[in-house]
Amino acid sequence: MDVWNNLLQGFITAGTPINLLWALVGCTIGTAVGVLPGIGPATAVAMLLPITLKVEPTASMIFFAGIYYGAMYGGSTTSILLNTPGEAGSMVTALEGNKMAKHGRAGAALATAAIGSFVAGTIATLGVTFLAPLIATHAVKLGPPEYFLLMVLAFCTVSAVLGQSTLRGLTSLGVGLAMGLVGIDQITAQVRYTGGVPELMDGLEVVLVAVGLFAVAEALYAVLYQGRVVETQNTMSKVHMTASEWRRSWPAWLRATFIGFPFGTIPAGGSEIPTFLSYATEKKLSPHKKEFGTTGAIEGVAGPEAANNAAITATLIPLLTLGIPTSNTTAILLGAFQNYGINPGPQLFDSNGALVWALIASLYIGNVMLLILNLPLVGLWVKLLKIPKPPLYAGILIFATVGVYGMRQSAFDLVLLYAIGLLGVVMRRYSFPTAPVVVGMILGPLAEAQMRNALSIGEGRWDVFLQRPGALFLLVVIVAVLVLPRVLAALKRRREAAA
Amino acid sequence: MASVVVRQGAVAGGVLALGLLLAGGALTIPSAAGYAGVGPNFLPWVVAIGLLLCGSFLAWEAFSGGFRQMDDLDGAEHGHWPGFVWVSAGILANAALITTIGFILSCALCFTLAVRGFKSAEGRLDLSVRAWVTDALIGMAIAAPVFWMFTQALAISLPGLTNTGWL
Repeated sequence: MDVWNNLLQGFITAGTPINLLWALVGCTIGTAVGVLPGIGPATAVAMLLPITLKVEPTASMIFFAGIYYGAMYGGSTTSILLNTPGEAGSMVTALEGNKMAKHGRAGAALATAAIGSFVAGTIATLGVTFLAPLIATHAVKLGPPEYFLLMVLAFCTVSAVLGQSTLRGLTSLGVGLAMGLVGIDQITAQVRYTGGVPELMDGLEVVLVAVGLFAVAEALYAVLYQGRVVETQNTMSKVHMTASEWRRSWPAWLRATFIGFPFGTIPAGGSEIPTFLSYATEKKLSPHKKEFGTTGAIEGVAGPEAANNAAITATLIPLLTLGIPTSNTTAILLGAFQNYGINPGPQLFDSNGALVWALIASLYIGNVMLLILNLPLVGLWVKLLKIPKPPLYAGILIFATVGVYGMRQSAFDLVLLYAIGLLGVVMRRYSFPTAPVVVGMILGPLAEAQMRNALSIGEGRWDVFLQRPGALFLLVVIVAVLVLPRVLAALKRRREAAA
Repeated sequence: MASVVVRQGAVAGGVLALGLLLAGGALTIPSAAGYAGVGPNFLPWVVAIGLLLCGSFLAWEAFSGGFRQMDDLDGAEHGHWPGFVWVSAGILANAALITTIGFILSCALCFTLAVRGFKSAEGRLDLSVRAWVTDALIGMAIAAPVFWMFTQALAISLPGLTNTGWL
């Protein structure tokens, strides 16, 4: 099959010294970003987007991808050693990981997290290698109506599905869509919402919004409300697993990979679902149930960490084959592609095949690098945790400045950055999710273009969405995704009230 | 708890204001549809109406018992405003001065002011001269390598105090 040839070519490209260096730097920065509080992979990639002005696409995508999953490896270190988890995907690891660390087994927890991440990441990358081209060949059959509905599905899942208030999720989505509207309309070249300000003709800069909402808002929120938070750190132990811990871990890794991978591929926002599912599965299947929640069961760390990595790797599939981002970081990666004028989608494998296969090959290489960075070198990262908060957050502000200024050389952008940071603080204080803003802003213009293309195919009639079988199927899925959880929850409440 | 109602109401008011702003802008966008079926003002109207609806529901929630399903409060009850002022001063001073005194010095200033803010939030505000100087040096130590990496290695222009590209 072509896949082997392409993959081999990819390895040759990814294996050049310069690309290996980019991968190593990316993985290192990613691990650091995952370990450090206050900054996540989306923020880091956003801050470093200016390099797309000068560095060639393959190298920078390898670099960004390294940051993306490096952060997942690093996040587990923080969850296990500190009492506050780093990333959303590491929340579940913190449940058992903390317990294990308190009972002197931090090293085993770190080991199972790192090795499990490696196993899951490698298997998931195999999945990407074989599935992505397959999906791409079928995705060519998708037309604008189907694309539009896929994007609507992504909007729905990122704003309305994850348990919290749908109203606030939709409001965030609205804010994001509104931000995406600023600038020149793609189809009619009509100028919208610029208020006569020439800098806004190109639209609001993605880096500006992402860095403002994540980094600056984080810093402002920390100074306002988290000054007195003191994080206690658990003691390290030797990073090593006994034979019985190995025996308990590896089935968990494999199960978790198969749970996490599907969740990454579908436009269902967030890595919380697969990690919680994996945790519940491990708890149910484990012969050591008493350890869960008390001394810390190793399966409770092995499973969620592996599920997390599998899901994160799998999110590259909808990004590369359909051009649909399913998380904050993939949305920013899409922004990076757009900076190069590359549009991910089914044509990507034909038009930029070399880049895609080099990227996939670098995923394998990156996983190996991260295993080495996180197992023997984990002591380095633990030292990072000792950096006091004031210089850490102040340093983040410096990186935020370079990221925003580097894109457009505008001091006005820095003022906007502050304003968006304030918006982010208000959103966080009142539980408005921020992911829909970024996804709405990046995906909104694309969705609008697809919608208008779809309507011109249907000659201005809206039933074009009902006449095509693929579109109709997606409409049903969207309605199901919106309606089912509410119906089930209402039924559950009625049953509980009756009982 | 009246202040909670006021504050949440203000948030809802902000959403409504944004919706009105979008609607106002949408009025000025022509609706020339052409082959596309809908014109460039379609999505602006959809988003404007959507935000107005969301804002109304949020206002209703605010005045009938507060926003539903809020997360547990993350951090302190009341904001530490002195620290906030320090950090804001840092960011805004950076914005104002970056083109005049250059990236390294401006970011070092931002760093120094921001560190004051964070230390103040921890209750350890340190206004001694030694602290100012130390933090300014640390700030420069962080900003300088970043500046050099971007201007020398990546050839992305960042403002400098001089034209040498090194300061």
